[in-house]
Amino acid sequence: MYALEVKNLTKTFDKLVAVDNASFEVPEGSIFGLIGRNGAGKTTTIRMMMGIYLPDSGEVVLRGVKVGQEFKNQVGYLPEERGLYKKMKVLDTLLYFAELKGKSGRDAHKKAEEYLKRFELYDRRLSKIEDLSKGNQQKIQFIATILHDPEFIILDEPFSGLDPINTNLLKEIILEMKQRGKVIIFSTHLMDFAEKMCDHVVMIDHGKIILKGSLNDIKSKYAQRNVSLTYDGDISFLKSNPIVDKIADYGNTTGIRLKESNQSQQLLKMLIERNVVVKKFNANDISLQEIFIELAGNETNGKEARNG
Amino acid sequence: MVNHRVLAVIKRELKEKLMSKTFIFMTILLPLIMFGGIGIQLLLQRDEAKSTIALVTESPSLTESFQTELLSSDLMKDGKYTFTFYTMNRDDLKGFLDKKKQTLLDGDLTGIVFIPESAMKDKKIEYYSKTPTNPSLSRRLESPLNKVLIDSYFHNRSLSLEELNFARKGIDFAGFKVSKEEKISEAAVGNLVLSFIFSFLLYLSLLMTGQLMLQSVIEEKSNRIVEVIISSVSPKELMTGKILGSAITAMIQMVIWLSPIILIISTTLFALPAELTVSITMYHILFLLLNFAIGLILYLSLFGMMGSIFDNPQDAQSGMWPIMLLIMIPFFIAVSMMQNPNSPIANVASLLPIFSIMVMPIKATVVEVPLWQLIMCLVLNTATIFLIFPIAGKIYRVGILRTGRKPKWSEVVKWLKYKY
Repeated sequence: MYALEVKNLTKTFDKLVAVDNASFEVPEGSIFGLIGRNGAGKTTTIRMMMGIYLPDSGEVVLRGVKVGQEFKNQVGYLPEERGLYKKMKVLDTLLYFAELKGKSGRDAHKKAEEYLKRFELYDRRLSKIEDLSKGNQQKIQFIATILHDPEFIILDEPFSGLDPINTNLLKEIILEMKQRGKVIIFSTHLMDFAEKMCDHVVMIDHGKIILKGSLNDIKSKYAQRNVSLTYDGDISFLKSNPIVDKIADYGNTTGIRLKESNQSQQLLKMLIERNVVVKKFNANDISLQEIFIELAGNETNGKEARNG
Repeated sequence: MVNHRVLAVIKRELKEKLMSKTFIFMTILLPLIMFGGIGIQLLLQRDEAKSTIALVTESPSLTESFQTELLSSDLMKDGKYTFTFYTMNRDDLKGFLDKKKQTLLDGDLTGIVFIPESAMKDKKIEYYSKTPTNPSLSRRLESPLNKVLIDSYFHNRSLSLEELNFARKGIDFAGFKVSKEEKISEAAVGNLVLSFIFSFLLYLSLLMTGQLMLQSVIEEKSNRIVEVIISSVSPKELMTGKILGSAITAMIQMVIWLSPIILIISTTLFALPAELTVSITMYHILFLLLNFAIGLILYLSLFGMMGSIFDNPQDAQSGMWPIMLLIMIPFFIAVSMMQNPNSPIANVASLLPIFSIMVMPIKATVVEVPLWQLIMCLVLNTATIFLIFPIAGKIYRVGILRTGRKPKWSEVVKWLKYKY
């Protein structure tokens, strides 16, 4: 059973096709990642899911029913470009957003104070938003997103601009929400986060869905012949080695694609013989980033070739 | 149409607006400025400087008559006027003026009144001063001088005192207001003053409320708050809430501003000077408020729409002149109509939607307007809301999510066809 189904969404701005016939399904209780580079169409897709934009064609279905106000009430949405009323007080802001979702009264008040304490902002509850630092304003915005205890949480680039501590806090809360059976959908261009947190992903590029499915399925599909390696030493000899198809450096890890899937033992042996210190050797593993670059990169190459 | 989400928006708007310094400041200060202004004007009029006047005639007997009349007149009572009297002919006057020139320029002598012999025939007298156009001085001197001239003129003719008194009298032009009501009442300047106050308040309130609406929409747009809010409420709900919130604020302000007038009409707590008595009823005020409420929704829809088109206040200021004209033209019609409330323009403007928001209440204050016209005015303006609101809503919906380049008007028209 899918919580949310996106069916053939298309959106065109003037002549630019922002989202092109996108379809995907968000399973119940999942953390769902919408990944793609900047300008790929993530935000437009999310806005259509939220009913902020009406799609040119296609529809979004919530547990079998087309989305409407009912869905809006059940969703907490954190847009990419954050915004709050500058002159409004912190607590008033939170209560206002909760009230728009139909939650008001003592419960909302209590909950708001709980979250403020958790985010270490309780003593600022009577400050004006404009007196808070950017980071703190982001926290307030996030609290406003989840205060009404939504069934769905849609976060557009939630980690941008957060420091490591708050990033962890946010992750913690997202996982907590998942455990409580909520559906979390977030978009990001940071593959690391998506890889660590999501159990389902959709990859979007130039408005088209180029990959979708559970993270495990995707990885195992692309991981054959792939080794991810963390090491110290010199591995330049591998470049011309007959068993290696491709090497890509991703900073901390290096992705190595072999010609055959049964050659990983041979590779490890070679590395040890050459005195390379192997810190981590993960056969049949591929990072999301590698998959993304392979898919999106190919597509770009193809396009350039066509243009040229 | 009004659900808990709209209510939440209205509540926030009210809280923000009613608590703002601008609102409190304007609500209290504006009447003070207005009534204070009138008060200062009255005070200045009453507070005349001391005047020293030299009165010159060409015959001793005439000089004597003026002396007797002026020194015994009301003018002397408060000691503000000092007169000196001279007798000389026109040729000598020139030398006299040269001699007195310095004292005139210094202000020690306010002016020289010259009454030539010919004044006995044509009543033309001359006044020499640094400030020869002083209406309050000429008004105060006119009556005693005229009296002496009339007395001298008729001196040798056998006229009874009665006849003489008639000749002395000026004309009293009393206007009577004819209305449907049975009694014909003497027209009061009060209604003219009221109509001026009404048009001024309506104009100011529309302008202010509109500006605040514009700013608030632009703030939401440029701060990107609007996207968060649109994820909870529909753009139409947001716009409705904002318009109603602003309209309620403006209505509260208007009622506070009008409260002295309401008190004057409905109670006898305040006694106005006879010449300022107002002859309007509570129905006038109710009509004004009702019409104003409809007008607010109309104008605020337009201001909201405008705010959504632009990204920043500068662009908005330069792009919103069409709406400013829609406020200013009716205001000018209303003000000029006070003189001539039955002119064709006034008749058309008092029923023309949008224009009638300001023009009709003013017209109804100055002249009697048939009931059907008042109802027609309300109906037409309400109908216009149903015409304008969907258009404004559509542009608003597209506009609030647009950022970047300032759109052309032709693009804005295209937005109407967008499926957003």
